Amino acid sequence: MNPEDLKYHKEHTWARVSGKKATIGITDYAQKALGDIVYIDLPEVDSNIEFNSEIGEIESTKATSSIISPLTGRIIEVNEDLVESPETINEDPYGKGWIAIVEIDDVAEVNDLMDASEYEKYVEEEKK
Amino acid sequence: MKIAILGAGPGGYVAAIKAAQLGVQVTVIEDTEVGGTCLNKGCIPTKTLLATTELLHKTKNSIEFGIEISGQVTPNLSKIMERKNKVVSTQVKGIRSLFKSWGITLIEGRGMVISPEKIEVQKRDGSTDIVGADRIIIATGSRPAQLPIFPFDGDHILSSDDALTIKSVPKTLIIIGAGVIGCEFAFIFSELGADITMLEIMPRALSTEDPEISETLERELKKKKIKLMTGVKVTGVQGRHDGIHVYLEEGKELVAEKLLVSVGRALNSDGIGVEAVGIEKGPKGEIVVNEKMETNIGGMYAIGDVTGGLLYAHVASREGIIAAKNIIGADQKMDYSVVPATIFTSPEIATVGLKENQAAEKGIKVKTGHFQFRAIGKAHVMGEITGFIKVISDETSDRILGVHIIGPHASDLIHEAALAMKAGLKTRDIAETIHSHPTLSEGMMEAAEDVHGEAIHVPKK
Repeated sequence: MNPEDLKYHKEHTWARVSGKKATIGITDYAQKALGDIVYIDLPEVDSNIEFNSEIGEIESTKATSSIISPLTGRIIEVNEDLVESPETINEDPYGKGWIAIVEIDDVAEVNDLMDASEYEKYVEEEKK
Repeated sequence: MKIAILGAGPGGYVAAIKAAQLGVQVTVIEDTEVGGTCLNKGCIPTKTLLATTELLHKTKNSIEFGIEISGQVTPNLSKIMERKNKVVSTQVKGIRSLFKSWGITLIEGRGMVISPEKIEVQKRDGSTDIVGADRIIIATGSRPAQLPIFPFDGDHILSSDDALTIKSVPKTLIIIGAGVIGCEFAFIFSELGADITMLEIMPRALSTEDPEISETLERELKKKKIKLMTGVKVTGVQGRHDGIHVYLEEGKELVAEKLLVSVGRALNSDGIGVEAVGIEKGPKGEIVVNEKMETNIGGMYAIGDVTGGLLYAHVASREGIIAAKNIIGADQKMDYSVVPATIFTSPEIATVGLKENQAAEKGIKVKTGHFQFRAIGKAHVMGEITGFIKVISDETSDRILGVHIIGPHASDLIHEAALAMKAGLKTRDIAETIHSHPTLSEGMMEAAEDVHGEAIHVPKK
């Protein structure tokens, strides 16, 4: 199940917002669709990222896919552990498989994201 | 009929053998070693080094295949170079013995055309020889281009020639130019342990290739921790006690132990006497030839890199064959419509025919098929899943216009496409040909099927 305390973007990324900061990652649906993840190209610390634009890439044994940012802001930390063990995203997409921490430009932007139940409905629609 | 060929690279030596097979008496003049750049300083030595670094990579990652190695896995550069030299010398001997078997005379020395029927040779022993001939083929090739701001010193500022004879792997290496040569060396030296930064003036690596190929390659560079800076211009280079300093136009300064400059090739058309006999040269110094490989001077032909155009060994060889046949009275023309080209990065790249943008420039409406190697069983078996095959076909006739591959064994796979194009086949012809399983070649079939949205191993779109 998708955690209730997260916000979701339609390109299957999530954000755990805490004040001006947010941890971001890809959803359980995304990791399942990708299959075994073999490589991740992380964004650079200090880089500015924009809502709805590409911040990195994920490669699985099945596909290569862009990571789309759910928020606008600046990257303040990335999960370096994923470089050696990208499969962590498959194992724990909402926990140890986090991708980056962002300092959000405008917290109001969070309101544009879906909550867990909206995201679940969205995924159901997309599956059809 | 007597002919003289100036240069014994893949153009000259092939022309020599073909002419001899056709009954011509052939003399070849070579300044360095038979086989030319390709065999001595290019294709063969670099691929030998690559064979080593690929094995090294596999050995380091052998656990992926279930093999535990105890102890250190260490490349030994002098042994690696020894093997490379042995591979080269075996091939050199091969060409020399072919010459002998066909009765071709090889004169070792520096040749200079002094008339349309005469070449003067400064032989290695200091003596001079005049070679007379009814026809002359000029096949002097090319060399690494040198820019005035970074002249090669063979020690810290290296050409691709120098890079093949280095005695130790530099800890840090800056490569100027992310074209074919720069990229091939980046993968080799990175695997041997060098920390590499590539500088490219164009907006992407391999800027003349399909953009999707560049994108995939750039991701592979990243995986190998090879840094690539694109759209940067080098304004100066300075050797200091702590290494080579490279200055960029944007104000940045980089430092490395060594610098490899791979900014293209310069043509060997100077100092060989062509001006004296009135042979026409183009703006880059290339010897101007027609499709029959004839220069503007009767009885004088030129082939290979020195004529500009596509600087490929295999093109030079074909031009040599065409020239040899025309010399004995045939009327053959070079056809450049199907020229496969290969780049030996990891993974390999191979292309033939038109790219999407070239088709658009010609106003041709195309369809494309795309297939990822990671959808093929054999790619997983081999542990090499990166890359794709892209097929471009004419929208109305379905004829194959181009195929672009990045992935395992791309250099071998491309020839199915080349043959199909040469025969004017359609993507349907490849799609409907049974391809053996499990092979990488299945990817060609699926990419051709995908042109029609009919590939099997692709999820519903």
